[in-house]
Amino acid sequence: MAESKQILERAKSEGRLKLLEHESLKLCEIYGLPVARYGLATSEEEAVALASDIGFPVVLKVVSPDISHKSDVGGVILGVKSLEEVRKAYSTIMSNVSTRSPGSRVNGVLVQSMAQQDLEVIVGGIRDKVFGPVVMFGLGGVFVEVLKDVSFRVAPLTEADVDDMIREIKGYKVLEGFRGSPPRDIESLKKIIMGLATMISELSEIEAVDLNPVILYPRGRGALIVDARIILGG
Amino acid sequence: MNPLKDLFNPRGVAVVGASKDPTKIGHLILKNIVEYGYKGGIYPVNPTVSEVMGLKSYPAVSTISDKVDVVVVSVPNVKVLDVIDDSGKTGVKHAVVIASGFKEVGNVELENELVRRARRYGMRVLGPNIFGYVYTPGRLNATFGPRDVIPGNVAFITQSGALGIALMGSTILEGIGISAIVSVGNKSDIDDADLLEFFDEDPNTSVVLIYMEGVSDGKRFVNIASKISMRKPVVVIKSGRTEAGARAAASHTGSLAGNVLLYETAFKQSGVLSAKSVEEAFDFVKTLSWNPLPSGEKVVVITNGGGAGVQASDTLADDGIYLEKPPQDFVEEVKKMVPPFASLANPVDLTGMAPEDWYYRSVKLAVRNPEIDAVLILYCHTALTSPVGVAKAVSKALEEAGVSKPVSVALIGGIEAYEAIKYLTNLRIPAYPTPERAAHALAAQLKYRKHREYLMKKEHIVNNKA
Repeated sequence: MAESKQILERAKSEGRLKLLEHESLKLCEIYGLPVARYGLATSEEEAVALASDIGFPVVLKVVSPDISHKSDVGGVILGVKSLEEVRKAYSTIMSNVSTRSPGSRVNGVLVQSMAQQDLEVIVGGIRDKVFGPVVMFGLGGVFVEVLKDVSFRVAPLTEADVDDMIREIKGYKVLEGFRGSPPRDIESLKKIIMGLATMISELSEIEAVDLNPVILYPRGRGALIVDARIILGG
Repeated sequence: MNPLKDLFNPRGVAVVGASKDPTKIGHLILKNIVEYGYKGGIYPVNPTVSEVMGLKSYPAVSTISDKVDVVVVSVPNVKVLDVIDDSGKTGVKHAVVIASGFKEVGNVELENELVRRARRYGMRVLGPNIFGYVYTPGRLNATFGPRDVIPGNVAFITQSGALGIALMGSTILEGIGISAIVSVGNKSDIDDADLLEFFDEDPNTSVVLIYMEGVSDGKRFVNIASKISMRKPVVVIKSGRTEAGARAAASHTGSLAGNVLLYETAFKQSGVLSAKSVEEAFDFVKTLSWNPLPSGEKVVVITNGGGAGVQASDTLADDGIYLEKPPQDFVEEVKKMVPPFASLANPVDLTGMAPEDWYYRSVKLAVRNPEIDAVLILYCHTALTSPVGVAKAVSKALEEAGVSKPVSVALIGGIEAYEAIKYLTNLRIPAYPTPERAAHALAAQLKYRKHREYLMKKEHIVNNKA
């Protein structure tokens, strides 16, 4: 708890309303949510050490409060498979950022395990003026972008609420297993939704959270949060 | 004890601004209180006259020596605070502030001061900007709306004033019996959640209908609505269903979480039945308040026309209710009277040649059959029968069945069908002019049954964990 307050305090004191990616991932970890293994490197050597600890393949992403579209400035390199590639990726990112986004503050580079691709879902939360903490769930990609096939619940949640919100989406069948694709690890998904509800209820500084994507593996194989975005109230 | 008990069961009511002028709101409210038959003390307060409508008029609430629990404040907004002070000092517990000119016109400070003042005296405020309230068990009609509200078991909470008054009249026309009507206006103090808490405990109320523009504390509403919904159905008409989700969104979740969607979520989560229109809400209220709670989902549809049957089955299916084959013993009995070509799968088609007596017999059989939970009766006006005749046959069957089950009746046709609907309405048997409305209203009860079970299961889990 003290650690989460520290993260929030630091962001506030630096005037940041959006947590840096490693801070967001850390908050998720504190609330018991499964995140793809990660670490923040501030040097090429640290990046190499992190990558060898995490295991390949990894992803490297620039961490900066001033850059919101990291890919646009060449700040993201996927599928890094060896120590040599880590060194190269680290320096490429650093030089890309200094030429394409000069003057941006850079905290370092996030080295993150590249999660095995599978079904993507989105779990989110907001603090609503009327209803307080509210959580959202939906299937990723076209389901959420185009069809807006999502469900909401007002916190606090019971397990029955979470069960219900998962079943409520039109694409629920996809989670049950569909055309040869296996049934998904719904238990892990439920824990993520519950954990997020607790996080946003307990940390009143948080205005909104997007866990997008969360990779939901077949039953028994868990889920992994790949990207977490946490916005604080102004 | 519920904090609103004395609002609904006051020992005495003072009407500040009670006027001799029959066009004044203060006059109309006093008139309704007197004429609807309130038995407690009635005290007009008006310093410029000595009596109003034959009742002694007082210069101030503080000059009334009897016990006054409620003060109805019908004076211009600038004079309201003085009335609060005067009545607060003498121990009045509730101020019903009719006056407008507060938050709704941007006068936020005056409204805040009103609540602050009232709190100082431990007084609760209903309003401001309201048309008053009704509580039929105490024959109290402190509104400037229609007088002859039909006593019954439906509590109606309305945030809209003009529509609320009009709907008060509609309840009379529609034959809906009322336990309470509460105009909540600006909800400066007493809000939907407070009232739901009262109606939850109120033995005279079994259904609550809310016309809502919005609530300020959504979490509390969800919490209290979930509690009452385990015992009594709550139907909400939420205004502004089409408002776009206008959240300036820094997050993806935020951009999807429109206001409308969150209210829908909250209603779902708390087991509240959401009605899209006034008509739908009134339709629901009839089945919910006149029928017993269904014990299962097995619906049998009895009709004299295939078309009406299909319309009803489709409506039920849209509501998630799928018709199963009727019980065999029921089918065997019906077979004895209908022509051999009659289709006795569900819907049970008595055919266009069905006389009133077939309705009487089949409805009675259906209600008595333990394998049937609810009966939907459809009738298309035919040359061989009279709608009122069929209505009488249905009501006789229900009366003689000896068991009470949820029913809903559609009487489809012209003016005679309309008369037949009125006949059943007077007997508190839900009757509608179309098969879809009858089916949808019955489905609301089945839906409520599910909501209720779900809420009880949830509470069970929570309690077991605690």
